[in-house]
Amino acid sequence: MNYESGSYKLFKICNIVLLFIIVVIMVFPYLNVLAYAFNDGLDSQFGGISIFPRVWTLDNFKVLIENREIINATIISVLRVIFGTIFALIVQFTSAYAFTQKGFKGKSVILMFLMIPMYFGGGLIPIYLLYSKMHLLNNFLVYVLPVSFSLYNMVIIRSYLYSIPESLAESARLDGANEIIIMLKVYIPLSIPILAVMALWTAVGLWNDWTTTLFFITNHKLYTLQFILMQILKEGERIAKLLEEALIAGKQIDMSSQPKVTPQAIRYAEIILTTIPIVIVYPFLQKHFVKGVTLGAVKE
Amino acid sequence: MQNIIIKSTSLQPRKKKTVNSFKKYSFIYLLMLPSLILTFVFAYLPMPGILSAFQDYNIFSGLLKSPWVGLKHIKEIFEIPMMWGAIISTFKLSVLTIIVGFPAPIILALMINELRNGLYKKSIQTLSYLPHFLSWIAVVGLMYSFMDPYGPINDLKVLLYGADSERIMFLSKQELFIPFLLLLSVWKDLGWGTVLYLASITSINPALYEAAYIDGANRFKQHIHITLPGIKQTTVLLLIFTLGSLFGSNFELVYGMKNAFIDFDVISTVVYSSGIQQGNYSMAAAIGFSQGLVAFILTFFANKISKKVSQISIW
Repeated sequence: MNYESGSYKLFKICNIVLLFIIVVIMVFPYLNVLAYAFNDGLDSQFGGISIFPRVWTLDNFKVLIENREIINATIISVLRVIFGTIFALIVQFTSAYAFTQKGFKGKSVILMFLMIPMYFGGGLIPIYLLYSKMHLLNNFLVYVLPVSFSLYNMVIIRSYLYSIPESLAESARLDGANEIIIMLKVYIPLSIPILAVMALWTAVGLWNDWTTTLFFITNHKLYTLQFILMQILKEGERIAKLLEEALIAGKQIDMSSQPKVTPQAIRYAEIILTTIPIVIVYPFLQKHFVKGVTLGAVKE
Repeated sequence: MQNIIIKSTSLQPRKKKTVNSFKKYSFIYLLMLPSLILTFVFAYLPMPGILSAFQDYNIFSGLLKSPWVGLKHIKEIFEIPMMWGAIISTFKLSVLTIIVGFPAPIILALMINELRNGLYKKSIQTLSYLPHFLSWIAVVGLMYSFMDPYGPINDLKVLLYGADSERIMFLSKQELFIPFLLLLSVWKDLGWGTVLYLASITSINPALYEAAYIDGANRFKQHIHITLPGIKQTTVLLLIFTLGSLFGSNFELVYGMKNAFIDFDVISTVVYSSGIQQGNYSMAAAIGFSQGLVAFILTFFANKISKKVSQISIW
């Protein structure tokens, strides 16, 4: 079928060019910061860098990587992602699996119970007051427990489970497998694709979150990498302290001349450090993310 | 219990049915338990805390012993200029965000849809998703660098107007603050916003386009009469959700972008600063409660109107 006329061809070319410009706008800021992060701090002060470093250096990252608080924050962030993701997957899968079973009483009441909080919530202050009573303030568990159940994810897993033929469970049952074995040996292996999508989804969300720390954590030892990024961006003293510590510890940084690592350079490096795990994996993940979003939207 | 037993009988003709079925269903309830407990603790238990909005809440006396003050704090919202200002700012920001941000992904989706399937289309999509996967604070960080006096924008300005043109600290300009917020919210989710629209464009029956072509409709007319009606359902659903958040605001974005030179507050930043930072729990709970209530009412009526007008609703 030929849809094309002369003016349509012109439109198509404009469209291709315009989309290219949009993508450049999407990607350029990141590449620019990437270039600055690997550029010598003193040299960066003159500006004029686009996407390639002018005076290549790793010093900016050295200051960060050798800092005790940054190391600690990285560990906390990683632990949070690992435990938070595993826990969330267990909770969401078990609940979704239970919902696919037929015949038990109270299914619709339970679903209603889980749905109401989507529309009514306490708000930040009641949650804060509750956490303070539960001793969840300054507690690692606040990173893991509250976000572990998501109705949306549960619904998506459930619709995936529905697509697994029931005859598989039936034949396992005839072979004498009990319900626990059926779930573990039949359904979980078959649900790996959707569980992987949910795991990635949860992990990215947990890694990127910083407001939980802002609201509920004051203990420095529980700071996450994203939270430190916020402090570095917004609080001048924070960077000054980082640089000072680097100077005291610093064998690598030459103290005889002017220090090469500037506050601005630290900012660039910290932005990259915090985002690089995601930027590296997202091109591979985005396919799964798209699948999850469209699945959830269609099936709900 | 009766019908459970009957059902399981039909499923598994075995002996010891009653015991089996009891075991079977207790296992299911056990599986359900973690999600029920977590929802109860983290979604229901905070709800009574809303009552603190009607008290002079004292963290040591708790909900039971703090004195009741009725609507005092709700009234205060309208009397304290900062609170009232925050409400107006939130509303203004949301309306502008919807006007700028809502049509943008639809237009982009239509543009991407015009590309033939292939590497270019895939690359465009993948790259445009990038900002969505970054945290808000990282996005704010990119903005800080981009608008730095020695960042790319000022470099461009110097390039255009000569070396002696002044380098400007854009982020400390009050009048540019809202445009920057709009820019960032569009930038971050523009690409990702196209996902749902592209999915629903794909699900439109191609035969419709062929028929329209035979009837003499050009590509533009085909979009007006086929594509746009085809994505109406998705559009209306997303609009209902968006309207519910008219008085909600993106805390991460506003808090992240705020600095010493900027005088701008939205409801969520006021709740944070007056509630958690200064300990005015009742005040902050009152404004948070009002916001939640308004959001619910807005969603409810948006849904109702949509149901009447277009038979599309979210519940």
